[in-house]
Amino acid sequence: MISFLGYAMRRTLRNMKGNLFPNLTTIAVIGISLLIFLSFSLIAFNLTSLLKIWEEKFEVIAYLKKGTSLGEVEGLLKQIRQLDGVETVNYISPFDAMTFMESRLGRQKNLLEGVQPAILPASIEIRLKKDYWGQTKIDEVAAHLKRVSQIEEIQYGQEWIETFSVLVHLVRLTQWILGGLLLAAIIFIVSNTLQLTISSRREEIEAMQMVGANPAFIQVPFYLEGLIQGLLGAGMAMGLLFLLYKVVLITITPLMKGWMAGIPILFLPWETITWMLSGGMVLGLFGSFVASMRFLRYGR
Amino acid sequence: MFSVSKTYPSQITALSDIYIEVTAGEFVFIAGPSGSGKSSLLRILFGAEKPSSGEVIVNGIRLTHPSFKKVYQLRRTMGIVSPDFKLLRDRNVRENIAFALEVTGHPPKKIREKVSETLRQVGLQEREKDSILSLSAGEQQRVAIARALVKESSLILADEPMGILDDEMTGKVMEIFSELHQKGTTIVLATQDGHLIQRHPHRVIPLMAGKRGNAESNEGGRAEE
Repeated sequence: MISFLGYAMRRTLRNMKGNLFPNLTTIAVIGISLLIFLSFSLIAFNLTSLLKIWEEKFEVIAYLKKGTSLGEVEGLLKQIRQLDGVETVNYISPFDAMTFMESRLGRQKNLLEGVQPAILPASIEIRLKKDYWGQTKIDEVAAHLKRVSQIEEIQYGQEWIETFSVLVHLVRLTQWILGGLLLAAIIFIVSNTLQLTISSRREEIEAMQMVGANPAFIQVPFYLEGLIQGLLGAGMAMGLLFLLYKVVLITITPLMKGWMAGIPILFLPWETITWMLSGGMVLGLFGSFVASMRFLRYGR
Repeated sequence: MFSVSKTYPSQITALSDIYIEVTAGEFVFIAGPSGSGKSSLLRILFGAEKPSSGEVIVNGIRLTHPSFKKVYQLRRTMGIVSPDFKLLRDRNVRENIAFALEVTGHPPKKIREKVSETLRQVGLQEREKDSILSLSAGEQQRVAIARALVKESSLILADEPMGILDDEMTGKVMEIFSELHQKGTTIVLATQDGHLIQRHPHRVIPLMAGKRGNAESNEGGRAEE
């Protein structure tokens, strides 16, 4: 078995060396096709992780009417805690709000000079349980809060998160539609290159068939060739994507200021990289299988 | 081969309702002029082509709808000499002959011994390291014959094996075939060389335009009705 695999690998490498240009073209085309697919994957991956961060930070803010006493706040906090779906509640006094604003303004905090904390409204930050992040449930909680007389206004960015979530789904959908088309293209390209290789080695294949070589003995080197083309193509796509990612990181990061500065730009995780490399190999293998079905048959 | 016909997609009928039975250990000539269907008949016998109708059984294997497995197993039991040699141009004489044993998984020592013996049989021992491209057509023919012989098959199918050999070499190759035949190998040899048939008293199956021909008298060969 080991000697057969050794033989098959030697023949594969000899075939690839003998048909270097078609092989390099195939690897390049697989690489570029997968790069397009992977670019969408990377965008979708980053948007999804951003969505997750926002979802985790998601909270309802209830602004209190002016003049609400601390005693009333105590009772209010107790009342809100007892509402269905509420995980934590946090009181933000006008002084806390001022401190927060100063920290966000940084060097420009002198703009707040002369501003009294009392003009800022006190608020209660309400974190909901994950099950209550859907639009319907959050509306239910909001309706309860609106009935509380000390609450002036309720704010939550759920609609915005849902719109963004639709955008992420659209990117994912585009990624898979494109992926499907590119997948068919890759199989077609690999199969055609291997048909060229098989044609150029027809003499040897016929001689092997003539003396009764096992079909696997003839076919395995071509399967290996497809597999290597797929692996190298996927590797090339991954390498190019990493370069692109680094370029984006260098050029975009300095431009991301304010709240955007906190958004991490991530590369694909190891599991995805492994899946993509394996996927490239499977695609190449399938392409070579299609080619061999047509050209490596015994008898007509 | 029972009631076998072969029609190509171009609507050319190569064989029409052919019945042939060759018993193990027999030496048979398939005789006929060019275009009579000899090559198609042999190609069906070694599974390179499927018959359009009829039934073919070779060495106990039914070849009417042959599977991959059946065809390669069948070819391991036979030596094939085709008119276009099917030699590997990027390998030398020895490697071309050894190839037939390598692909069927014989041990290297046995391959070396068998190849040396076969090279002597066909008189190519002096040229074993030469490239195939440096050989004359006749020498290439002998390499193709050697590749068929080296496997010590129970059946040899040879399509015009002496087509381009001189008289001396033709005699020598026929001697090898006769020796193999005496040892029990079945030999089916397609030829249009009437003189060759006359010199060797074996059964002749005549073919004419894809059909079994009528008996023709010849001094050596024993023609069928």
